[in-house]
Amino acid sequence: MTTYSAHPLRSTLPLVLSLFMAACSQSYVVLLAEDDGRVGQVSVTTPAGTTLLDKASEGIEISGQPGKTFAVDPQRLERDFGAALASAPRKPVSFDLYFNKGGTELTAASAADIPKFFDEIKQRPAPDISVIGHTDTAGSAEDNERLSLNRAKATAELLKKNLPQVINITIDSHGEKNLLVPTPDNSAEPRNRRVEITVR
Amino acid sequence: MPLPSCRVLILALLLSSCAFRSWGADSDVVGYVKIAHGKAFVSTRQIAVDAQPGTPLYQGSTLTTGSDGSLGVTLKDNTVMSFGPDTEVSIDDYLYKPAQDRLKLAARIVKGTLHYISGVIAKLKPEAVSINTPTGIIGVRGTRFAVKVED
Repeated sequence: MTTYSAHPLRSTLPLVLSLFMAACSQSYVVLLAEDDGRVGQVSVTTPAGTTLLDKASEGIEISGQPGKTFAVDPQRLERDFGAALASAPRKPVSFDLYFNKGGTELTAASAADIPKFFDEIKQRPAPDISVIGHTDTAGSAEDNERLSLNRAKATAELLKKNLPQVINITIDSHGEKNLLVPTPDNSAEPRNRRVEITVR
Repeated sequence: MPLPSCRVLILALLLSSCAFRSWGADSDVVGYVKIAHGKAFVSTRQIAVDAQPGTPLYQGSTLTTGSDGSLGVTLKDNTVMSFGPDTEVSIDDYLYKPAQDRLKLAARIVKGTLHYISGVIAKLKPEAVSINTPTGIIGVRGTRFAVKVED
């Protein structure tokens, strides 16, 4: 280690570094509000420590000093993340179809909702869907296992037949184990006779 | 000759694990590309394809964009991620079996920009989600954020 060159280096290096950082050549994380305005939390952990972000548009340089957060203005957000934000797919959406007692026939109200749900699916590129069948607690658990699967399958068929653009459907069934409205066993409850459809 | 035979054994193990895991089966798909602009690729097991709506993603897939590229993907647990130009992101670990409480999402951004909206995994088990960068780890408590990583 030579000492004579250390002094000029020591004095100029931080300056050069800080100029470099200021020229937006910086790795950072920024917390964003969700569509509904809610703001969650993210933590950023480095060997130097952990910083928690909990305010909208609050940012932290990843390899910077822990806790030293800053506000990210809309212009900078657009400059750095405009392309990424513009390419965000629509958020997945879920809806429920309800069934008449004991079978795979849709209630009149749910049958009337079908066109609305189909429109939502058609607006999405390469939609993939999961369907989960449920029953109420009337009847045996085994029968309800079968019935919930049949409801899910019937729903998947309906989707496949009408929406060729759907690229994948996964089918699942929860029988009477996952009630929307909690009830004792052997209770007929129309709101529990349903299939949850999630469209991505 | 302990070294070569060891290599052969490892190779054989790797090959057999490939055969048994049946990569490419529908059940292994962890998500799909929904939006792709410009140059954008998905590489899975060293095979790169042009990203387009419907391109499947697997655990281990790497997503890359060129200087004019961007990508939007949705994972099975409803996590939504999108990427700007000159970006490289890999999905290192993904497990979504909520009924068995087996949940994991680990992604890594090497460079570029990533926008993230959390899904079911972050909601059910926030500690199971990590987004890794070259200099730090982002932990998620059910939310939306963006990260930029400079080369």
